[in-house]
Amino acid sequence: MKIMNTFEEQLARRDLLKKLGAASLAALGTSGVSAWANTAPVQHPAPRADSCILIWLAGGMAAPDTFDPKRYLPFAQGLEVEKILSTFPAIDTSVDSIKITEGMENIARIMDRGTLIRSAVQPDLGHILHSRHQFHWHTGYVPPQTVAAPHMGAWLGKVLGPKNPVIPPFINIGQRLEGVGEKEELKAFTTGGFFGSEFGPMNLPYPEDAVRSVQPPKGMEPGRFANRYKHYQKLVDQNPNREWISDFQQESMLRSMDAAHRLLQSEEKNAFDLTLESKETHAKYDTGRFGRGCLLARRLVEAGARFVEVTTEYVPFVHWDTHENGHTTVQKLKSEIDQPIAQLILDLEARGLLDRTLVIIASEFSRDMMIEGVPGSNAKDQSRAKTDKLSEMKHYGLHRHFTGGTSVAMFGGGVKKGFLYGKTADERPLVAVENPVSIGDLHATIYTAMGISPKTAYDIEKRPFYATEDGLGKPVMDIFA
Amino acid sequence: MKPFIILAITLFLLPSLQAVDFVHEVMPILKEHCAECHTGNKKKGGLAINTRAELLAGGENGAVAVSGDSAKSHMIMLITSNDDSEWMPPKGPRLPPEKIAILKKWIDADLPWDPGITLAKSAWEPPLKPRSVALPPALKGREHPIDRILDADLAKRGQPLPAPTSDAALLRRVTLDTIGLLPTPEDLNQYLHDLDSGKFTKKIDTLLSNDIAYADHWLTTWNDLLRNDYTGTGFITQGRTQITTWLYQALRENKPYDQFVRELIAPPDKESAGFINGIKWRGDVNASQTTDIQFAQNISQVFLGINMKCASCHDSFIDRWKLAEAYNLAAIFAEQPLELNRCDKPIGVMATPKWIFPELGDVDAKLPKTERLQQLASLMTHPENGRFTRTVVNRIWERLMGRGIVHPVDAMDTRPWNEDLLDYLAVHFAEDGYDLRKLIRFVMSSHAYQSKTVILAKEPGEDYAYSGPIARRMSAEQFIDTIWQITGTNPTKAEAQANRIIAPSQDALPEPTLKPAVINAQWIWHEGEVGKKTQIRKTIDLQGEPKTILMLATCDNAFVMKINGANVAESKDWQKPVYRDVTQHFKKGANSIVVDAEMFGGANGFICQFSILEQGGAQREVATSKDWEARPPGGTWALSREISPHGGGPWGKILDPEAPILSQGTIPPVRAALVQNDFLMRSLGRPHRDQVVTTRPGGLTTLQAIDLANGDILANYLKTGAQNLTNRSLDKDLGQWLYLYAFSRPLTAPEQSILNEVATGDLPNSVQVEDLLWLVFMQPEFQIIR
Repeated sequence: MKIMNTFEEQLARRDLLKKLGAASLAALGTSGVSAWANTAPVQHPAPRADSCILIWLAGGMAAPDTFDPKRYLPFAQGLEVEKILSTFPAIDTSVDSIKITEGMENIARIMDRGTLIRSAVQPDLGHILHSRHQFHWHTGYVPPQTVAAPHMGAWLGKVLGPKNPVIPPFINIGQRLEGVGEKEELKAFTTGGFFGSEFGPMNLPYPEDAVRSVQPPKGMEPGRFANRYKHYQKLVDQNPNREWISDFQQESMLRSMDAAHRLLQSEEKNAFDLTLESKETHAKYDTGRFGRGCLLARRLVEAGARFVEVTTEYVPFVHWDTHENGHTTVQKLKSEIDQPIAQLILDLEARGLLDRTLVIIASEFSRDMMIEGVPGSNAKDQSRAKTDKLSEMKHYGLHRHFTGGTSVAMFGGGVKKGFLYGKTADERPLVAVENPVSIGDLHATIYTAMGISPKTAYDIEKRPFYATEDGLGKPVMDIFA
Repeated sequence: MKPFIILAITLFLLPSLQAVDFVHEVMPILKEHCAECHTGNKKKGGLAINTRAELLAGGENGAVAVSGDSAKSHMIMLITSNDDSEWMPPKGPRLPPEKIAILKKWIDADLPWDPGITLAKSAWEPPLKPRSVALPPALKGREHPIDRILDADLAKRGQPLPAPTSDAALLRRVTLDTIGLLPTPEDLNQYLHDLDSGKFTKKIDTLLSNDIAYADHWLTTWNDLLRNDYTGTGFITQGRTQITTWLYQALRENKPYDQFVRELIAPPDKESAGFINGIKWRGDVNASQTTDIQFAQNISQVFLGINMKCASCHDSFIDRWKLAEAYNLAAIFAEQPLELNRCDKPIGVMATPKWIFPELGDVDAKLPKTERLQQLASLMTHPENGRFTRTVVNRIWERLMGRGIVHPVDAMDTRPWNEDLLDYLAVHFAEDGYDLRKLIRFVMSSHAYQSKTVILAKEPGEDYAYSGPIARRMSAEQFIDTIWQITGTNPTKAEAQANRIIAPSQDALPEPTLKPAVINAQWIWHEGEVGKKTQIRKTIDLQGEPKTILMLATCDNAFVMKINGANVAESKDWQKPVYRDVTQHFKKGANSIVVDAEMFGGANGFICQFSILEQGGAQREVATSKDWEARPPGGTWALSREISPHGGGPWGKILDPEAPILSQGTIPPVRAALVQNDFLMRSLGRPHRDQVVTTRPGGLTTLQAIDLANGDILANYLKTGAQNLTNRSLDKDLGQWLYLYAFSRPLTAPEQSILNEVATGDLPNSVQVEDLLWLVFMQPEFQIIR
């Protein structure tokens, strides 16, 4: 009997649940994993940006053929390949001191809006498998790990919470996770990790279909969908056992159902709908799936997404994974990325969003015509177009993985404008010779821009797990304005 | 009292026997200058000095005091150091020379430390050996040992005994907990009307003796724990193998847990070797993640609840485990001599194969690997290894009662909230022959398990005190399984390689059984131009209720068959005909058979034969012939074209009439634990099993809710399910039936009136049924096991 009384006393408080329509949606960031408490609380830096777009050129973008031109030699029969460093000539950019390569004329025009890092370096993970390097780049940790490492997008969602509570904080555009090679390895880092699926990605592999993720299921008209939820609320209300289910369990379910239906019935859901853009805008972006992904990223950031990744998509031996025919392939790839990336920067700027949006262009490593990994590496040569002297066009291109010097471009989010950081050698090996930036340091820089201390740690299995490995990532403060 | 007496004796003996007075001279110095960081639960740098043993054990950088040699003692060097980056104590005043002299003298005299004296209470150390527990007297006639322990504890805290829950709620709970499914409305009705006072025990026994359903459900838990999956990292380069077939069989036959673990640690053949072999990634990996180290981490975590992950990189900062212990354990498994690495750097010390509890014995480092592993398997399952049994009983308790006696369940070095309960269960489990099903039965037969779940405002934390069982959210697999169960949408193909054939019981009633029939079926396709795809249909009328109906079919090249709307068979390999017991899909009256067939090139044809035994009839055969209808997709139905009789064409006598009869068994519908992880299950918390997983998140997240609101996978289950349910002429009200099935309770009047708004009219159409299903499955009451 005593127990019953307690319940009755609780009823008033439990009314709260019934008023859930009005309840706050601050559920994100409150559950599960807790901050590591064994050391002094970290001091987060003041954020320079509120949103982040990662443009991921998956497969290994050769720096000498894109952002870091070296000695160029055009294709010629019998040419010794060891003489070739770049297969594209250099072009001028809007910054005198920065040259990039032919085929990137639109990006060249916006180089005065951002910082180019030419000295990013990665460890040589031996017999290089792309997805391992991508795991490292996206989580800051080399796989395998003893616990499931969260993706960078999950870190931003976890520490900062959503920017607009209606929009999922971590959105992943353009990568299929089924039906492609190494899909299991891709799933291993495209995840909220030990933060839980709450912080995992909303995956939108096809930008043009993104809107379907926020619409009623196929074949259900909006009226029926809205009605269904209305009836759901009524049934939950009338459920005779609801007082017998613990608040914390029930609340999480009702709150999340509510948040989902809010998104699905909100104005913001239009952000997922590319058909709402004009023909002219489509023309500026639509070079293919990647270009449409950039347009979707812009719409989502406008609507308040925290972290959006747009990828050219990793598929083994396709896109930037150029093991043969490199020159021809990169020429085509450039025509896919050049215009939409430049347009994205310009559009964000025009909307006054660029200052508070950090845009990063990166890839898991660079490529070289001769060297696999770095000098002295034990990695196998994976070029499919091995030759000492050029005879066929398919041999012309940078076909081997190179981890000694990679380019990363950053725009907005408080980085310097028209700034060049780091330098690679002018003769092979084209390793970083000035200001090398490790993945830990690069992440520290990105997290610092976003207002997160690189030392931020969460408690997992009673151990601290840091935003940058062991909390040791050092931000490159030189690139901030 | 005791310390005081010792103190008195010590004082008395002091001048003559001891050069240093520990209590009066040394202890004040340690307390003033060292205690803040190195006593109690504090272990800065891995060093605790609560006891002499702890001090001598040193910290993460090795020994700090060398007995009898102060000059070699690191602590003296640090105390006297002039380097402020290393001196001790790091803050506060430096030690004056006279105090340093006392410490030196003390160390040189072999650190005398009076027995029984501790600077502070040590962190709780879990006992190793099993402990028999004297049971407190029963209260209110509650004799079950679990109740005697828990009730005494509740009484001591002045808490009421938790009230028993209702029969219906208990039936739903116990069915979900044992076999991961819901009781059917018939089960419920039968149970509620059973007047036998022992009906609950009877129910537990019935459920637990359903070997297949038990294995189907518990496979999820053990796949998580043993990091076993059908897809995942590592498979791409054969860096990983499954243990599915072995594991399923072990669960099915209820292999004793000690034997189970011995076969995992020292695999008798490759079937159970996948667990210790870990996942080998391509390329170079961190020293703390080699397969040797994974072995040490995984066996410690899963079987002992010990976290070796810290210690496999450096001496642990949070518990007693050292780098050398992790490596020595790994060396039992290693093929090659193993060098210790601290934080990924080799340190020039070689590991010696060694077990972590020398009290129980050790492995012989000189023996070859397989024999070392056998020794390890015996040590792990040693009858005196109480940590082994405590760890597993705690895991099972958590599954059934909502929270571990030690919680989190992997942190078995933390203090249980009821040591007696944990120790009692562990000893009882061993005495019961390490029988997991008996353990589950034992817990379930307590009043505690059968109580109402407690209502909590927030998730319990470290201050948790037992007041009754805690409701749990369904696992992703339970959620999917129960939806499939209600809607009949189970897939037809399992990914897991598991033997799930149920042999007919020996003492089954001598029902007339089917005899192998002559195959008189024809290969058929639609008339006219041969297309890549054809649709075939047939209506089979039954005069009586179906008794046994077997189906034999194959197609060159692929087909999907639906009976009364439910998927029953699919195949993409004509050389592997499908033999299936489809009795459950038939009903008295007209039955619709629909086949979507496809050829990939070359020859084409579909062939099928049903052997039918119905109430009041003799065995008869229904086989493909020109009487079946066929059409190209979207075309008009017409009688089909016979291509060739069975035995002809390029196919030969592909259908074996003996096969379905000889298999002498049925295979129950495929369950969620047996299929590949998909977006829906992943979103609902089924992990990517790259690491051992012992707990899944409990709440529902917004992304999950979006998947539930509009995801394709669920929407398709609901759509097909609604068609199945609409096709079935239910003799009772659908809403009522759904509520009885989903919630184990009848629909209330207010709920009825809301459902009437959704499904208007006498016979709801399939769109309305789809919405009804969603409304039921989304309710917290459905998704919670309470």
